Amino acid sequence: MLSQAMFPWLLLTAAFLFTLGALGVLIRRNPLVVFMCIELMLNAVNLALVGYSSYLNSEEGQVFAFMVIVVAAAEVVVGLGLLTRVFSIGRELDVDDLDEMKQ
Amino acid sequence: MRTVNALAALPLATATPGWRDLVGLLPELIAAGGFLALMLLDLVVPPARRTWLAVFSGAVLVGALAVSVWGWYDAGSAGRSVFFGAFAYDRLAEFANCVILVTTLLTVVISPGYLNRRRLHHGEYYSLLMAATVGMMLLAGATSLMVIFLAIELLSISLYILSGFSRQEERSQEAAVKYLLLGSFASAFLLFGMALVYGETGHTQLAQIAEAMSRSLPVDPLLVGGIILMFVGLAFKVSAAPFHAWTPDVYQGAPTSVTTFMSVATKVAAFIVIIRLFDDAFASYYSRWSAVVIAVAILSMVVGNLAALTQNSIKRMLAYSGIAQAGYILIGVAVGVGIPLGVQGALYYLAAYAFTNLGAFAVVTVMSGQGEDLDSYDHLRGLWRRRPYVAAALAFFLLSLAGFPFTAGFFGKFLVFAAAIQAHNVALALWGIGTSAVSVFYYLRVTLIMFQRPKEDAPAYEWPRTGLAGSAVLLVTAAGTLVLGVFVVLVLTVATMAQAGTLPGT
Repeated sequence: MLSQAMFPWLLLTAAFLFTLGALGVLIRRNPLVVFMCIELMLNAVNLALVGYSSYLNSEEGQVFAFMVIVVAAAEVVVGLGLLTRVFSIGRELDVDDLDEMKQ
Repeated sequence: MRTVNALAALPLATATPGWRDLVGLLPELIAAGGFLALMLLDLVVPPARRTWLAVFSGAVLVGALAVSVWGWYDAGSAGRSVFFGAFAYDRLAEFANCVILVTTLLTVVISPGYLNRRRLHHGEYYSLLMAATVGMMLLAGATSLMVIFLAIELLSISLYILSGFSRQEERSQEAAVKYLLLGSFASAFLLFGMALVYGETGHTQLAQIAEAMSRSLPVDPLLVGGIILMFVGLAFKVSAAPFHAWTPDVYQGAPTSVTTFMSVATKVAAFIVIIRLFDDAFASYYSRWSAVVIAVAILSMVVGNLAALTQNSIKRMLAYSGIAQAGYILIGVAVGVGIPLGVQGALYYLAAYAFTNLGAFAVVTVMSGQGEDLDSYDHLRGLWRRRPYVAAALAFFLLSLAGFPFTAGFFGKFLVFAAAIQAHNVALALWGIGTSAVSVFYYLRVTLIMFQRPKEDAPAYEWPRTGLAGSAVLLVTAAGTLVLGVFVVLVLTVATMAQAGTLPGT
């Protein structure tokens, strides 16, 4: 069980991980790493959800976290499929190269 | 201080869903059944007969549409909550269902011809389209944070795959990757916002959240943060500036029939949930979020309209125009608390935008050539001589988007501007009027290009025949744009009835 004094630290950790993930998405150029950073953001959300769930003593947050895990898995399946498709055409793994339509 | 949340735990422990709950979800269930059936049918239908899949999808959509219309009357003016407050069976949801289903239906009608020309006629297309439709319908009725999240992901993941549907084309693959990376990024913001809203109110269902919010005084900063983060995630889905960076590339890169669908239906579904959340559930925090929504609305109108001026691809131009239109609809949302005309105007605008924008993209779809989309302005030169009816239809849709009198677009803009003035926010209305004046330039420019002769040295474009299906879609969308512009009172009555019975109802 989570002690009440620890709760703000838990929320801060979640916010820190979320910010770290968001910065990674904005800074890193490798689409696989960008994808991992998005996963980090989603898991920060899970941490916040489970923390709140324990703090509030309500189960909804835990159920929500399970749903996030399932959807994140589905997103990874589609995402990796698309990424392998794009970069098997012979491009380098760099999101800055995705500029076919720039005018 | 640990409090057992008796209110939230009670219904889950004692009740099970019954028939009345399933009736509230009937249109969605029909479409979901159609989605599963399409996946199986794809295995047994021979490749040369894939048009049957389109016919089957059409039949399912007509069925769901009929049930939605029946549901409009059955739900009644008050509506009711089904599945323990997770889903709304009300006129707002049924109104959205009708608009979304008509959009999907017209997309399905126009698709076989286009996909055959582009050699993209794979069976998954129809099941993915149906899955996205189910997601949108669920989103329009969702009144629980979890259902909102699941519905958004169902429609988004289907659309990620659909935008990359042209597997051999780099543009399409690039569009899919961009949409996927930025879409998941936005989903993460939406989710963090949801986590904060859940944590600070202790509930995931909108009715209970609204109640907890009206009791939470003094103002809770984490709750405000959660609301803003949720708005960021949703603003991405409706492609409002500054969260619009993906829109032009994805709209241009995706196969045109997919763009036609997602530019309209996604926006309708996402705006319905924005209305439900911000103009209803979060209404007691109005003074805390209104500035952000107004800023995003103004930025969308300015960025969308100015960027559209310099485009020379009609798909990109329509993408930027879509960003601007999102800004106009956001005006209605921003002033919608306490002023019913705001929400009514936004709903009217959504219906008008659905027909008009669908028509404009349908023209691009029926004109697409073998192997690639002909979306540059150069491809439009001389269209008036060769295909006068198609050119006239496109000109009409562009005039409606620009907001010329006696078209659907004019009354949409008129209503949201009137709502802004009613809310004593004249500056917001003036921003809208000013940016619409700018928009006339680029809409008329395209219209004029259709009258010009092709350049002497330019290769002659052989536009494909419009065909029966294409003509039918153009006729229906043009008629819709005209009817919405002429019978304004009728449509506004429908929008008013949809707005009046909104759940969760605070």
